[in-house]
Amino acid sequence: MEVKVRIDGVDHKAQAQLIAGTLWVHYNGRVFTQDATTGRKSRKKGGAGGSSDQIVAPMPGKVTKLLLAPGAAVAAGQAVLVMEAMKMEYTLKAEIAGTIDSVNCAVGEQVVLGKALVKIKPASDK
Amino acid sequence: MKKFTRIAIANRGEVAVRIIKACEEMGIETVLLHSEADINTRAYRMATKTICVGPAATAESYLNIPANINGALAGGAQAVHPGFGFLSENADFAEAVNKAGLTFIGPSPEAIRALGDKVHCKELAKQAGLPLVPGYQGENQDVAHLIMQAEKIGYPVIVKAAAGGGGRGMKLLKSSAEAHELIESAQREAQSAFGSPKVFLEKYLDRAKHIEFQVFGDSTGNVQHFFDRECSVQRRHQKIIEEATSPSLTDDLRRRMGEAACAIATMGKYKGAGTVEFLLQDGEFYLLEVNTRLQVEHPVTEEVLGVDLVKMQILTAQGDFVHDNKQIRAPKGHSIECRIYAENPFMGGVPSTGLLGHVEWPEGPGRRYEYGFDSGDTITPYYDPMIAKVIVWDENRPRAIQKMIRVLKDSVVFGVHTNIPYLIEILSHKEFVMGTMTTRFIETYFSESLKEPALTEIEKTVAAGALLQLRGGAGETAKASASPWGSYWRGI
Repeated sequence: MEVKVRIDGVDHKAQAQLIAGTLWVHYNGRVFTQDATTGRKSRKKGGAGGSSDQIVAPMPGKVTKLLLAPGAAVAAGQAVLVMEAMKMEYTLKAEIAGTIDSVNCAVGEQVVLGKALVKIKPASDK
Repeated sequence: MKKFTRIAIANRGEVAVRIIKACEEMGIETVLLHSEADINTRAYRMATKTICVGPAATAESYLNIPANINGALAGGAQAVHPGFGFLSENADFAEAVNKAGLTFIGPSPEAIRALGDKVHCKELAKQAGLPLVPGYQGENQDVAHLIMQAEKIGYPVIVKAAAGGGGRGMKLLKSSAEAHELIESAQREAQSAFGSPKVFLEKYLDRAKHIEFQVFGDSTGNVQHFFDRECSVQRRHQKIIEEATSPSLTDDLRRRMGEAACAIATMGKYKGAGTVEFLLQDGEFYLLEVNTRLQVEHPVTEEVLGVDLVKMQILTAQGDFVHDNKQIRAPKGHSIECRIYAENPFMGGVPSTGLLGHVEWPEGPGRRYEYGFDSGDTITPYYDPMIAKVIVWDENRPRAIQKMIRVLKDSVVFGVHTNIPYLIEILSHKEFVMGTMTTRFIETYFSESLKEPALTEIEKTVAAGALLQLRGGAGETAKASASPWGSYWRGI
């Protein structure tokens, strides 16, 4: 809907909509989102999230290749698995060095955004 | 001469909508052949009839030849328009359509085999004496053999899908170390997108511009070109911004490239709309490939020439279109197209899917929108991320660029992130403004994820006020001090 917000006596027009807990705003040629409960920048859509010892699905899609098995050593920046979404392949890499602790997905599996796919045991924990 | 009363569309999204609109203007009914995932999209709502040809997976629906033929027959169509992508450059599909007693809206299966298959096309071009980029187009698809060929060509080398384009099945090899993984990835993408894992190799020209010519063979086989487009702005080998005409061509180059484009299309006995793609580097041009179909960026040609390529395709398939050389006029003004992708530009372009909220494409002179989704539709992860195209026309290139920036800023898409902020950055870049960009433009200047600018105090206040109003709170006023997020503002 179109909203009008008065700031210091000046009206500012914007388009705004609440979708699943996220506020979407189009104002002055820019679209931005905020978490409607906290007012912080929304990170819920299209973001990987997760901690660096986990590889999390950055988008919904299909796992097409697992490059490392549990127990394998992994270097920071090394490719761990491949996903396909919207007809393109995306290679997901480890953020930290260590050992593959667990793999929580299978080749061919359709995974949802944010699913933890691989857990890495950091090298310092050895 | 045939006269179609109903045409089946073996495609989806904005191109399906584009074909439906052309058919409506010609008084022709449409049958949309769609997947389960595309029920209740814009094309689904607009088509006269809809027939589901299979589940979301493209191999079982949009790439399924028998299902599409059966759907077209069951829907009572006399012809099939394949759009672009999917089966549009599949000669077996064109043949199956014709065998079923239907008309394929596009070139003959023979012409697709001769020109659409990138490998055959290069052989034909060699015979015609056209300049080619050095490469390997052999039948041996063994990865080790391909790596050996890449070494022979000399890195950097680009791997491409033999049966298609659009950036899928394309990988840039910089050394043998990464070649194995990237070639396998290209083969998988090619199989998934085009139903064939076959790839070929080309020397990667690192200072090249992508220039293409729209060609059109009429019902009598007379091929004319409809001038050029420049599509040098590409990311992951996918075009993002296209324009007509190219700012990079001299009159002499334009004439020579146009003649070369017509020569190869004539050799391939071409009928209908096609595109001959070239790379231009240091004043020399090389044939890249021929796309035997309508091109995503066809609207910019339509805007500068005042033609309707989709209607021309349909008339040609009816045996009803002959070029009137007096009608083919010089391009007027300048047109730019931006592809709107459902992705988050602040997170490296990762796909963004989900339910579309409010969507607004503001009308105005010299503005054109091609889109396949409305508010309330769902963007799924199964298909290409392009959800819309924004096209502008103006008197000259600088004005067209300014207009495009304005139009993108006016456009509203809620519910999924889009690449609009990224497009605005590109259009504002001095290299693009000067027209000197090459195909490495994105890689050179936009290799990092776009940095999301922090919200200004006014934007935060507007958001807070908007939230109050959406929740039925304050009427039309909001003050910073009354914001439920006041405590966060200082920390953001």
